[in-house]
Amino acid sequence: MSKFVATGTSVTVNGTDLSASVARAELVINAAEVDVTDFGSAGWTEVIGGLKSGSVSIDFHADYGSGGVNEVFADLLGTIATVVIITANGTEATATTPSYSTSVLVNSFTPVSGAVGDLSTWSVTFPTTGAVTYAVA
Amino acid sequence: MATMAQIRSGLAANLATITGMRVAEVIPDNPQPPVAVFELDRIEYDQAMQNGLTIYRFTVQVIVGRASVRSAQRWLDALIPPTGDSSVKAAIESNRTMSGVVQDVRVESMPSIGSIAMNDQTYLAAQFDVVIYA
Repeated sequence: MSKFVATGTSVTVNGTDLSASVARAELVINAAEVDVTDFGSAGWTEVIGGLKSGSVSIDFHADYGSGGVNEVFADLLGTIATVVIITANGTEATATTPSYSTSVLVNSFTPVSGAVGDLSTWSVTFPTTGAVTYAVA
Repeated sequence: MATMAQIRSGLAANLATITGMRVAEVIPDNPQPPVAVFELDRIEYDQAMQNGLTIYRFTVQVIVGRASVRSAQRWLDALIPPTGDSSVKAAIESNRTMSGVVQDVRVESMPSIGSIAMNDQTYLAAQFDVVIYA
């Protein structure tokens, strides 16, 4: 086990490896809080886990080349895409470089982005749909 | 992934599109102006995952002639605008991928212009900051 600096997170979307155009990748998973406080809670609130949800946030570098990130997303708006993220700079799923897989709703796409003189980038946050799974092998 | 030799070669080729411009990778002992000399200042690694983007920052110094020679000032006047046949910015950005070697190149600024002393001579020169995305 060791701490690490993220330099090699692997991000694939619908099977296309977009890692080289990714500046930041984040997967957040949540469980809703369901309040079950009652008169037996001794004056404290009580909660249990409810529905789970998640989101995938990615900062992309724009690239219109063949197989580039903009081409991959050009026709995905409003559809479900499969995202696989291998963290901890791994290239394959292992115990120390787990792989997270999920389906997301591509509810946003920024085909044109960039201020004059700046690197053209765009950021998205997709809600997950269905389960988020992880693998260590 | 681009090698340093490829990047230097591409930068030199772009600069050489200015008619009459010589290009050197180190400051010559006896410069024959006009001559463009470029040196690597800084590399910013890990701008994207898996070495997907590295930023190289170069300084290009263009020596146009001895300060006492009137033509030197005329050279400078032609080199420093953002556009034109002799524009350093236009030349460096004339082939923005260096024929596929890099992802993009941009001349960000010309932070200094003035005289420099070399071999007991005073030359007029302009310095340009170049950023290469590769």
